[in-house]
Amino acid sequence: MSERITPQDVLRALGALRDAERQQDIVALGMVKDVEVGDNRVSLTLQVPNPQAAATERWVRAARQVIQQLGVAEVQVGVAPLAASGPNPQAALIPQVKYTIAVASGKGGVGKSTVAANLAVALALAGNKVGLMDADVYGPSIPTLMGGRQEPRVVEGKIEPPVEFGVKMISMGYFLPKNDAVIWRGPMLHKTVRQFLGDVRWGELDFLMMDLPPGTGDIQLSLCQTVALTGAVIVSTPQDLALNVASKAIGMFQKLNVPILGLVENMSYYVCPGCGRRDDIFGHGGARQAAEKLGFPFLGEIPLDVQIRAESDGGRPVAVDRTTACGRAFHDVAAKMVAEVRARSGEVKPEILIE
Amino acid sequence: MPVVPAKIRLAGPNHTVHVDWSDGHASVYEYPYLRSRCPCATCQDSEPEPGQAAGALPVLKKALKPERAEIVGRYAVQIYWNDGHNSGIYSYEYLRRLCPCPECTAEARAAGMDGRQE
Repeated sequence: MSERITPQDVLRALGALRDAERQQDIVALGMVKDVEVGDNRVSLTLQVPNPQAAATERWVRAARQVIQQLGVAEVQVGVAPLAASGPNPQAALIPQVKYTIAVASGKGGVGKSTVAANLAVALALAGNKVGLMDADVYGPSIPTLMGGRQEPRVVEGKIEPPVEFGVKMISMGYFLPKNDAVIWRGPMLHKTVRQFLGDVRWGELDFLMMDLPPGTGDIQLSLCQTVALTGAVIVSTPQDLALNVASKAIGMFQKLNVPILGLVENMSYYVCPGCGRRDDIFGHGGARQAAEKLGFPFLGEIPLDVQIRAESDGGRPVAVDRTTACGRAFHDVAAKMVAEVRARSGEVKPEILIE
Repeated sequence: MPVVPAKIRLAGPNHTVHVDWSDGHASVYEYPYLRSRCPCATCQDSEPEPGQAAGALPVLKKALKPERAEIVGRYAVQIYWNDGHNSGIYSYEYLRRLCPCPECTAEARAAGMDGRQE
């Protein structure tokens, strides 16, 4: 061995070892501690979540190997459990996602998926890195709404999400033959939610939009327990029936401490393309009134428009074109939502100390 | 803005968990107290003192303590006890209601609902 090796050399070499699960190298994850370089020998400690796990053995072997490749004869790799106040393992599931937002409703059929897809597209057009997770395992509609021209691919044990209109997407719809149904109980749903988060290569994202199934069931609870959601957007049609059920969804999020970013009124009014006359088919302004009454922001109204229906079925969300009235409506809602998200940054995150 | 823990210290002095809340309040819970109020379905179903299951010779049992804890979403903390029990998800709201300090106890009594017996 001719040149002297520095601790920086060691760290650089170890930087090649990536934790596939957390999508980062072990140095960036802070797993490498106490690097000491002596005469032809290097010692270090690896901090691992579970020293007894089989993966730990692999890490130690791999670390020893890359350092030996630097020409060091004696390599000592110790193992220590992760520090007491280490990062919350939940956060590690999607460490590179800044904001996670659930799009929810009380009852079905209010256009929640359409709103989720168009908000995602609007956010992406505004220059954000955006993901769209279709958590509606029973009735996945995101592939249809977004065109579904590509399929997810599995690369190195991770799912590479297809990208449409600048939005990375995942949906149960990609994994099911058409017209096949998902008939699962809770534990399977919980697993799917975790996989959609942790096994998809989301990469760095500003926003991960999550299209929830209607109601207050297993998936909603799983999601709220697995991720510290930034907030929830509630979609409702204007009539009392829908709003009453929407308040149940709001109640669930409040119980789970998830902030309500605001309400969106979908199918707010109808403008006859023939005569231009406006009809308030489900009433109008109900969601705005409900938001005011409950003290939540009102994010905007989306008209009931045949253009939205046609383009959604055709796989091209109207938000792609912000010069149309419908497209603009979604961009306005997205902008208001972003303002609500920004207003909430800097909230208290609990810290757990073991010693 | 709901009150949430700012800091949870699992190994406080004299076998206690310390919680500093976002509103400035501080709570101290003894391990057996916290464990006996475990909100999980199994403990809720068992009688009469859930969670304790001390057995005939409690002196032979390892002293009960929390090994670690995880934040659940934005609303709760899940405690992993050293005897393997970990299904209790303590919502912040419930945890705050359990606060045994004199003021909180008096408040709960005044409100006519002693949350501690849940």
